[in-house]
Amino acid sequence: MRGDGWGEGSPNRAFIMFRLLQGKVLFFTSLSLDYFHLKHSACAKQSLLLEYTVKILKLCGLTQVRWSRYGPEYQDPQIDKEYYRKPLAQLTEEETYERELRKTQVIKAAPATKTSSVFEDPVISKFTNMMMKGGNKILARSLMTQTLEAVKRKQFEKYHAASAEEQATVERNPYTIFHQALKNCEPVIGLVPILKGGHFYQVPVPLAERRRRFLAMKWMITECREKKPRRMLMPEKLSQELLEAFCNRGPVIKRKHDMHKMAEANRALAHYRWW
Amino acid sequence: SLPPVLRFPCAVHQLLDPGRFSHLGTQAPQCPVAHLDNQVPTERTRAISRTLENDPAKHGEQHVGQHYNISIQELKTVFPHGLPPRFVMQVKTFNEACLMVRKPALELLHYLKNTNFAHPAVRYVLYGEKGTGKTLSLCHIIHFCAKQDWLILHIPDAHLWVKNCRDLLQSTYNKQRFDQPLEASIWLKNFKTANERFLSQIKVQDKYVWNKRESTEKGSPLAEVVEQGIMRVRNATDAVGIVLKELKRQSSLGVFRLLVAVDGVNALWGRTTLKREDKSPITPEELALIYNLRKMVKNDWQGGAIVLTVSQTGSLFKPRKAYLPQELLGKEGFDTLDPFIPILVSNYNPKEFEGCIQYYLENNWLQHEKAHTEEGKKELLFLSNRNPGLLERLCAYL
Repeated sequence: MRGDGWGEGSPNRAFIMFRLLQGKVLFFTSLSLDYFHLKHSACAKQSLLLEYTVKILKLCGLTQVRWSRYGPEYQDPQIDKEYYRKPLAQLTEEETYERELRKTQVIKAAPATKTSSVFEDPVISKFTNMMMKGGNKILARSLMTQTLEAVKRKQFEKYHAASAEEQATVERNPYTIFHQALKNCEPVIGLVPILKGGHFYQVPVPLAERRRRFLAMKWMITECREKKPRRMLMPEKLSQELLEAFCNRGPVIKRKHDMHKMAEANRALAHYRWW
Repeated sequence: SLPPVLRFPCAVHQLLDPGRFSHLGTQAPQCPVAHLDNQVPTERTRAISRTLENDPAKHGEQHVGQHYNISIQELKTVFPHGLPPRFVMQVKTFNEACLMVRKPALELLHYLKNTNFAHPAVRYVLYGEKGTGKTLSLCHIIHFCAKQDWLILHIPDAHLWVKNCRDLLQSTYNKQRFDQPLEASIWLKNFKTANERFLSQIKVQDKYVWNKRESTEKGSPLAEVVEQGIMRVRNATDAVGIVLKELKRQSSLGVFRLLVAVDGVNALWGRTTLKREDKSPITPEELALIYNLRKMVKNDWQGGAIVLTVSQTGSLFKPRKAYLPQELLGKEGFDTLDPFIPILVSNYNPKEFEGCIQYYLENNWLQHEKAHTEEGKKELLFLSNRNPGLLERLCAYL
């Protein structure tokens, strides 16, 4: 069962990684239980869903690869402070029932990276994890904070240099710049190698939301690591690239456009996609 | 400055009750405080975080937690060196230099205002944990003394003189000691910028021979010695030594008042990381700059004050958690500096913390939406433990 890291996994869909028993191809599948009209609670639905999915996949000759040590009965932890601050008198019947139920359920341990801080941002955490090398989270996090500071200082400089009308257009919040820049770098359509008749063809394929986010972050990090001048530090280069992507120019946006152009060029092969 | 409309009621107060306001100088900051209820919240935040009193001589208990402004021109003349690097970045970003008025600095100002210049110079040592504001308190004192027309002898960081020195020359004056031409010439340049007006007035009282062709006659202005040190980098260390000797001799005569401000004075009595060609370590006494500075820090001269800071950041071979003067100075240093007046610089109190946050909010430095909320402020308080340095670093990326 995939955890709720991006907030999009509804409890009625199971995304499971599996591989062919003979081959090396790895891909996703998803099964939906939207037609499940039983009066079961969410956890019972999920465990049933998992059982059925595994059985069906075993029939096709596929086994699960990425799995969690937690059994299906474990619930995700509730990190939100506001949930616990609500006074008991104000809860509705459903909410009181849910609270009583949680007292009897087993709960997974919250990961160390998920805090109840008001300043926490899942996008920033994900980006920091992707920048991390060899488990050195302290270094990755310090690089991230230095980048945000560099972006802020550059924007403040621009603000003070601009005239009164232009000052309203200068964005000084490093978090909005970061989010907008990554959104601008996300490709809409991607290419997937599909084996047909002994050759691999690059077939244009619609990308899932999280694949797009991953590609945007990956391109950003690779660009900053490889094309950086020798004595320049990562925060400076990253802040430069983020500001350029925010204005829809720069090498990462160019890479996204190249991907779109390749997909456009190969659109005749779209029939090779069967999903 | 305040528009005249707000000043008028204050003047009326003074007429009706002349006993209440004893000096005219604090008229300006009283007015925003008096009209808190009528004004918009922005005015109230300005009343908490800023004060209009820009003269350090007039700062008092009522200004604790408030920031006062130093103009950029003054900053360039008074502080060519000596400000912490993060503060310099903040000045560049905000286009203004604002320093917070805090209790340790006020205490020191009170002592300095009441110094007896006939007595030997008193030594004050600012100590405290990392990031509590020792260097900026020292800068506050230096600004006060500069405004009062004292001669400022400011060594920005004594630790820089005992480590990472590329070129060490054998001193021409004394074969046992070592010269540091680069550090000495940089310091002389900054000293010249800070004290231009004094250098032409003070006359040298001895003849100094630099080499076969150059010498400085008795009675020539000190500016010549400083020029010689900047031009001929090889003689820079000796020039520094001469400047220190002359200033010490002549401040006792009462021509000018001397402030000796050294940041990181524990470097003078620690160990160095410098080595001779045969890899044997050099002790601080063998460096001419340190040797001359130690003479300056002794209290055998009159007509000024000595304000020192001990810091672990930048120190060599000292544990990270050490902050007390005894731990950082070592036995030798403590015995040399004894007796001194220790002044503890601690973390912000709640009022100062609030003032700092308001200052950042006014300058729009805290851009995160949650930072404006009460929750965000509580979290900043918790994360920084009211430590000024840590709070500054936290707010930098929020």
